[in-house]
Amino acid sequence: MSTTVATFTAKRASGGSFLIEDLRPEDVFTPEDLSEEQQQIAQTTSAFAEERILPALDQIEAKDFDVSRRLMREAGELGLLSVDVPEEYGGLELDKVTSALVADKISVSGSFSVTFSAHVGIGTLPLIWYGTPLQKEKYLAKLSSGEWIASYALSESSAGSDAMNIRARATLSPDGMHYILNGEKMWISNAGMASLFTVFAKIDGEHFTAFLIEAGTPGLTVGPEEHKLGIRGSSTCPIILTDCKVPVENLLGEAGKGHQIAFNILNVGRYKICASAVGGARNSLRGGIRYARERVAFGKPITSFGLVQEKIAESAAGIYAAEALVYRTVGAIDAALSALDKSAPDYSRQVQKSIEEFVVECSILKFWGSEMLERVVDHMLQLHGGYGYVEEYPAERAYRDSRINKIFEGTNEINRLITTSWMIKRAMQGRLALLPAIKKVMDEVMAGPGARVALDGPLAEERALLANAKKLGLFCAGAASQKFGTDLAEQQEVMGMLADMLAEVLVLESVLLRTEKMNGRKPLAIKLAKYYAARSFRIVETSAERMLGAIAEGDMLRTQMTIFRRLTKREPANTVALGRDISIAMVDAGRYTLGSRTA
Amino acid sequence: MRILVLIRQVLDAQETVRVANNKVDLDGRKLVMDTMDEYGVEQALRLRENGADAEIVVVAVGDARTQEALRAALAMGADRAIHVETDAALDVIALSSVMAQIARAEQADLILCGGQQADWDSQALGAATAERLAWPQVTWTRALALHGATLTGKHDADDGVESFNVTLPAVLSTQQGLNEPRYPTLPNIMKAKKKEIRKDMLEAYSVASRVTLQGVAVQSKERLKRILDGKDAPAAAALLVQSLRQEARVIQ
Repeated sequence: MSTTVATFTAKRASGGSFLIEDLRPEDVFTPEDLSEEQQQIAQTTSAFAEERILPALDQIEAKDFDVSRRLMREAGELGLLSVDVPEEYGGLELDKVTSALVADKISVSGSFSVTFSAHVGIGTLPLIWYGTPLQKEKYLAKLSSGEWIASYALSESSAGSDAMNIRARATLSPDGMHYILNGEKMWISNAGMASLFTVFAKIDGEHFTAFLIEAGTPGLTVGPEEHKLGIRGSSTCPIILTDCKVPVENLLGEAGKGHQIAFNILNVGRYKICASAVGGARNSLRGGIRYARERVAFGKPITSFGLVQEKIAESAAGIYAAEALVYRTVGAIDAALSALDKSAPDYSRQVQKSIEEFVVECSILKFWGSEMLERVVDHMLQLHGGYGYVEEYPAERAYRDSRINKIFEGTNEINRLITTSWMIKRAMQGRLALLPAIKKVMDEVMAGPGARVALDGPLAEERALLANAKKLGLFCAGAASQKFGTDLAEQQEVMGMLADMLAEVLVLESVLLRTEKMNGRKPLAIKLAKYYAARSFRIVETSAERMLGAIAEGDMLRTQMTIFRRLTKREPANTVALGRDISIAMVDAGRYTLGSRTA
Repeated sequence: MRILVLIRQVLDAQETVRVANNKVDLDGRKLVMDTMDEYGVEQALRLRENGADAEIVVVAVGDARTQEALRAALAMGADRAIHVETDAALDVIALSSVMAQIARAEQADLILCGGQQADWDSQALGAATAERLAWPQVTWTRALALHGATLTGKHDADDGVESFNVTLPAVLSTQQGLNEPRYPTLPNIMKAKKKEIRKDMLEAYSVASRVTLQGVAVQSKERLKRILDGKDAPAAAALLVQSLRQEARVIQ
C-alpha cells in the first residue's frame, strides 16, 4: 500500500514566508489537485456522513452515546479512524491532506464532528507520536477500530489558554510502580464515552507530564455532562482524579516534557478546525439554499432578492477561500513531511518539527476558518427568517454549534497573538527575512509613488490588491515595531490587527493561486475570487488604518496616511453584480458549486 | 467462474439537471455509479464471499469520467475493470452488443446489470444482452445464491414474487432490496489503485447507435399559483375536483 497519496511536491514555504515571497500557482496544492484516491476517500466519507450520521442526528443531539459509539465503530470499519495511524500498527498512514479531507467531509454535524476530531486528533495523535511500542501495541488497534474512544484532558478550571499553569499533580508511589494522580480537569471532550484518557499532570507539582489512563481505573471519576450552548451531542465533562493509580509504564513521552505533546498536537488541531469549518459551512449553505429556493415572499422565491443573494454569495466566497487556504497549507505541510526519512528513529519528532514550522499558518487557519463558519451559519439562519430561530430547522443548531470553534484549540484571541508573535520571533531569529522586506517597503513607500506594475489576466486587479496588501502588512509591521519595539507583545489590539492583515494576505494569496491554477476552466471561480478579494482588501485596509491611528500622531500620522492612501488606492469591484451571479449559480445547483466550464 | 457486472455512471440523484448545448450538462456536477448497478457489484461480492470461486470484472462504456465509477466498483472489491471509452451516447441495443462481445471474449458465466437506468429509465440492457448471447435472463432479482452451476433466487413478478433456479451462463438484473451495497473502505480504495482498468476504444467493437438523441429538455413544473378562496366552500370544492380531473389529470 502506498504511504502517500499525493504525488504533489510543493515548494517549501512556511512560517509566514507568504508575506515576503511570491509563489506561482504550480507551487501550491489546491482542492483541484486531489488524487483519484483522495476523491474516492472524500466520497466514502461524504456518503457515511449523509447516510449514516445525518439520519441519526436527533439521537446524537439527545446524547444517546450508544449511537455515537456505533457510528464511531462504523467509521473505524471504513478506515476513517486509521488515516494517521502507522502501517505497522494496522493503520493507513496517509498524508495530511487526506486527513484534512476526512475532517472536511465528515463535518455535517458539529457534535459528531467534535467526537470524531477529539478522537483521531488530540485523542490518538499523542499516542502515535510519543507512545512506546508497548503502549501502541496495547491501545492503537482499539482506537483505530473505534472499539475504544479516546479523550484528551489538559484544561482545568483555572488553566485554559495558559495550560502550563495546571494544578493536577502526580507523585511516584514508594514502590516505584505507579504514579498517584490528584486534581481536576474541565471541559474534557469525549470524557463521557471514552475508554482511554491522555491526562496531563505535574510530577511533584513541577514536571509537566502526560499519562495514559484507562477508563475504570480506580480514582478516575468522570463528572456530569456540561449543559452547552452547542455541540450538545458531544460529550463534555469534568474529570476528577483522586489518588488515581497509573502504572509507570503508562507515562506518555518523557517526564517533564509533556508541553511538547500539548503544543505540537495543537497545530494539527488548528488546521483541522479549518477543514471541519469548510465542511460545516458547505452543509449549512446547502440547507440555506434549499430552504430559500422553496420559500416564497411577495410572490417570488426569496432567492431572487438581492439581500438574500448577497448572503449566499458571501458564504460561497468564504467557502471557496477556506478550501483554497486549508488545502494549500496542508499540502505544503505534506510536502515538508515527504522529505523526511520514515525509518529514522526520531521520525515522529521530525514530523512535529516540520509541522511546527507552520505555527503561523495553523493559527491563522484556526481563527480565520472558525470566523468564516460563523458568518456562514449566521447568514443562513438569517435567510430562514423566523424559522431560523426555532429548532425545527437545522440552521438554529448549526448556529449554536459553530460557536465553540472560536474557543477551543486556543481561543481566537490567543491564536491572533500567536500569529503575530511567531512571525516576529522568526524574524528575530533570522529564519524569516522580514526585516529586510520591511526596510525595502519602507524605502519604496518613502520614495514616493512608483510606477504601477502592469498586470494582465482576469485577476490582474486582484493581483495588484494582494501586492499592496503585502506592502501594507510589512509597512504596518515596520511602523509598529518602530513605535513599540519589544513592547509590541503588550499591545494586544495592535497584534490582533496585524494578525488579521497577515491572515487576509495568506487567504487572498491562496485564493488567487488556486484560481489561477484552474486556468480559466471555471468562470465562476474567477467571480468568487474577485468577490473574496474585495472583502479581503477591505479588512486589510480597515486594520491598517486602525493600526496607524493607534501608533502615530501629528506629522508622522499624516505622512503614514499618505502612504496608506497610496497603497489602498483602487477602483472598487462591482460586488453587487458578482454577488448576484455567484448566488444564481449556487441556487441553480442547490449547493456550493464551482459551476461548469460554461457558467 | 467469471462474473461480469455492467455498470453505468449517472448524475447523482440530488443534483439539479441542467441543459447546455442541447445536452444534459454534467460538467461540474456530481456523478455516481447508477445505484441499480451498485446492487449488482455488491451481489457479485456476496456470491464470492459465500463461497463462489469467482473473478469479478466490472465493465462500463462511457467518457473519461466513467473511470470514477469503475474505480468505485474496484474499491468495493471487484478484481478488474474494462472501460470502453467513448464520448458518444450509445443506445441500449448498441450497448448490449458491446457487452455481449466482452462477455464472449471474457468467457463470462454470469452477467449482472441494473434493472433500470436511473437517468433514461431503460430496462432493456439485460434483456438485449441475454438475447444476443442466447442466455436465459431473470429480471428484478431480490435474492440470489449460487449452488454449483445453478443460481437460485427470487424475483419480482407483477403481482408477487417468484422463486427460480437458473443454470449458468445467465443474465440477471438487479434492483433495490437485493442487498445493501457497502461503502468502499479506505484500505480498499488504496488497494484498488493497483487494480487493472483495461481501456478499449469503442471502434474496436464496430457498433453504432441506431437511435440518436436529437435534443433534451427539462420538464419544468410550472406553478399555476391559483388560489381558490373558500368563501363558497361547496363551489370551491367542486372547482378543485374539476381542476384536478381536467387540468392536472391526477384523478379520474
